[in-house]
Amino acid sequence: MTVISVNGEKREVKASPEVPLLYVLRGELDVMTPKFGCGLAQCGACSVLVDGEEVRACITPIAALDGKEITTVEGLPARWQQQRNLADDAERLHPVQQAWIDKQVPQCGICQFGMMIKTTELLESNPTPNDAAIVDALTTSGPSPHLCRCGSYAAIKEGIHHAADLMAASGGDKS
Amino acid sequence: MNKKAEEQDTTATETLNIHGASLSRRSFLGVSGSLLVSLALKPNLGFANSAVTNSLDAAAPNSWVEIHADNTVVIRTGKCDFGQSSIYTAYRQIVAEELGIPVDAITTVISGDTDRTPDGGGTFGLLRTNVLNLRKVAAYTREAVLKLAAQRFGVSPDSISIKDGILSAGSKRASYGEIVAKQALTLEIPVEGELTSFRGLTVAGNPPLKDPADYTVIGTPVKNPIVRPKVSGELTWVGDVKLPGMLHARVIHPATLGSTLVKAGNVDKSRFPNAQVVAINNLVAVVSPDEWEAVQAANAVAAVTQWSDWAGLPGSAQLQEHLRSQVDWNEVPGTAGRFNSGDAAVQASRTHAASYFVPYHKHAPIGPTVSLAEVTNGTITVHTHSQNPQFLRMAIAKMLGESEAAVVIRTYPGPGHFGRSNGGNAGSEDEAVLLARKLNKPVRVQWMRHDDMQWSTQSSAMLSDIRIDLNDSGKILRYEATHFGPPMQDDRPIGALLANLPTISSPSPNNPSPVHRAEMYVADSWVYAGIANVAETGHGTYQLGERESPLKVGLRDHSMRTPIQFQQNFPRESAITEAAALAGTDALEFRLQHATDPRFQALLTRLQKESQWQTRPSPAKEDESATVLRGRGVSIMFRDNGYWACAATIAVTPATGVVKVEQITLVADPGIVVNPLQLKRQAEAGCLMGVSQALHEEVAFDQSRVTSSDWYSYPILTMAEVPKLNVVIAPFQGAKIYGQGSESANALVPSAIAGAFFDATGKPARRLPLRPDYIKTLLL
Repeated sequence: MTVISVNGEKREVKASPEVPLLYVLRGELDVMTPKFGCGLAQCGACSVLVDGEEVRACITPIAALDGKEITTVEGLPARWQQQRNLADDAERLHPVQQAWIDKQVPQCGICQFGMMIKTTELLESNPTPNDAAIVDALTTSGPSPHLCRCGSYAAIKEGIHHAADLMAASGGDKS
Repeated sequence: MNKKAEEQDTTATETLNIHGASLSRRSFLGVSGSLLVSLALKPNLGFANSAVTNSLDAAAPNSWVEIHADNTVVIRTGKCDFGQSSIYTAYRQIVAEELGIPVDAITTVISGDTDRTPDGGGTFGLLRTNVLNLRKVAAYTREAVLKLAAQRFGVSPDSISIKDGILSAGSKRASYGEIVAKQALTLEIPVEGELTSFRGLTVAGNPPLKDPADYTVIGTPVKNPIVRPKVSGELTWVGDVKLPGMLHARVIHPATLGSTLVKAGNVDKSRFPNAQVVAINNLVAVVSPDEWEAVQAANAVAAVTQWSDWAGLPGSAQLQEHLRSQVDWNEVPGTAGRFNSGDAAVQASRTHAASYFVPYHKHAPIGPTVSLAEVTNGTITVHTHSQNPQFLRMAIAKMLGESEAAVVIRTYPGPGHFGRSNGGNAGSEDEAVLLARKLNKPVRVQWMRHDDMQWSTQSSAMLSDIRIDLNDSGKILRYEATHFGPPMQDDRPIGALLANLPTISSPSPNNPSPVHRAEMYVADSWVYAGIANVAETGHGTYQLGERESPLKVGLRDHSMRTPIQFQQNFPRESAITEAAALAGTDALEFRLQHATDPRFQALLTRLQKESQWQTRPSPAKEDESATVLRGRGVSIMFRDNGYWACAATIAVTPATGVVKVEQITLVADPGIVVNPLQLKRQAEAGCLMGVSQALHEEVAFDQSRVTSSDWYSYPILTMAEVPKLNVVIAPFQGAKIYGQGSESANALVPSAIAGAFFDATGKPARRLPLRPDYIKTLLL
């Protein structure tokens, strides 16, 4: 049996080892923000963080993930709280999510879960990315560019810069 | 305590006439101060049978608008959100404006579900025509409340003013909630039309509407309240719905667009113990309680399922030639443009004549279509993401031979697909219904990426011949356009076709539904009032391969963002740019000379400034040995009463054939701007979809099937190609019509880019997309 940690919780997976993580998360574990987009690692709608790195859940068998730490958009607020040692606040989202609201980034929104995951990965390693670093993260750094059909790319760029500002402005002391 | 027992009917029902609507009122002696009271508006039963087929109980408080005693308001609309945000922002602003309440008082928007919303109709033209229903409903409601307040205050309604939800006359004041509290109020309003028709119900009558000069809510930036639950992960998307005991299905679509089933493959039970093959004529699927098993088993079964051969398409490489010489354009009546005028035989001193081509495009939602269906006690419930749920309900009932009353469509957020389901279905809904009925279990049908690319409808291609005659002074004497293309509105569900069940008719000259005819209309609203002689003609045909396909499938077409005008604006604006060069005039100046409407003059002047346009004739006459050539182009359009202009700056690398769009400037005067924040976001994103369509998009097909099957064979724009964007919203002050923004921008961009290419290279690019292989052939 594969054991993975999903958003801070240890989960025993019944599915056989060759089943892609996406089907395990959505079908067995009820973790629904990673979306099915292509099943071919061509679009990024299913992206999750595995030990902090973006992975396409649609092609990654769970056999490769035993003992790993998976974070999805559902787990971003807790990840941020833990990283900055923040007091409990049920209303607080991760700065990337908050930036997406402040800048009204999503249109239909189906791609934005993957966009936010990729952005989180980027900002955890590069807190002040310039446009070139943002474009690199969302186009050439992974198996494929992250695709948005609605054309929200300009809004996403604004959202990433704003998220970086929010993260920099956040103190991090328990208050 | 028993609330019912506390409520004593103290008066007989009283009826008041509200501008042709009927308000009935009963008062209660309520002890509870929180008694919720609604103003319910029900479709007039005297009209057709549409109200009968609506499962809304008009006596219950689930109708158009509900005003509660606590001053909160619910609105309901049959339209859905596809990312435009309009129903969550602009609709609330428009209703709040008419009522005179704060926009935040409208706490709930219920949309789409056929058993919980009153009006039906497709999600298109949201602010053009569709919102007029709710706007009128709000106006009727305000008038009714004014009358009630007048009775309460003992004054005439004219002496009451409304601000921030408070009605006041002198020292007398009451909130909306106080006026409606402790009463059962029902307002019946007149409606017309058929609930499950393409356009749904229309609210009739003419209640007094607020003067736009007095607007305070409309025109303010309002954030979309649905964004937070979307990004937090709280919303249930259609693909997230789980029904107890459901089976996961994968459809094995035929080998070609005309193949019939010879023999369905079997499931290897040793590998897939819980999977099962289901065939209903040519509709073949594999189901399993486990989704991954369904995927794997379907792959295995597809490999051994046998289909007949079929070849009835021209192939995309031969499409232009096919449209030119193989289609009989006399089968379908031609149509003349609405703005045709003047003399067809004027004498010109110079002429520009050329053909232009726009290929088939895919709606290409990021998530392939997914739907669920269940049959319970004779009711068929479909869970889906549709732009026209009531019309889908009609189509499902027709397919099954059931009454519409037996079908309920529930809607959820889903991937934007830009018009594909404005006639109800996007694919998968009807397949889910047929499988659920056959198996007597809830079924979830998730199309895979290749299903969505190869079995959904596409936006159809257009071939256009343009001729522009100039007079001696280099002005346009005559404009002639002849457009040839397949129709754009096939609303037949694919599962009904595969299962060979009854459905609505395909696009044809005799289709009783005007939107489903085969004629090619001239959608191109005329923008050049300064041209005296105009002759535009449209020639339609049947869908390619449909009549040859035993399945009656072939290339099914469907409208997509800015339909028909996208295809007709590209040739017109590209040709105008070339004609400007022939006249030796700057492309923007040339448009100023001919687009004489003052609003276009203002728009183009603003575009000159915003884009830092350098006035000079094209081409730019750059050094042809340069490794990168730069140019700029311009385009204009009139759509939905809105005026639009766009400038593009591009860089062409002749060695690679790569066109890089460096900057897009868009200026829009759409009319009354309801929500500037969301309009700007829509226009920005529309520009980027336009860049995607200009540079990348073309459906590839051979003689049998669509060969674009994934994101590599149907590429779209990536973030690396995003130009600098400058979107300027510059509304004409005094406009009386709400501005639309989710369309237009995408259709302006390709001709501005093509104009920029001509400017940079001196070579016209007369077909889309501007991919490197095509560009290299132009620059040889």
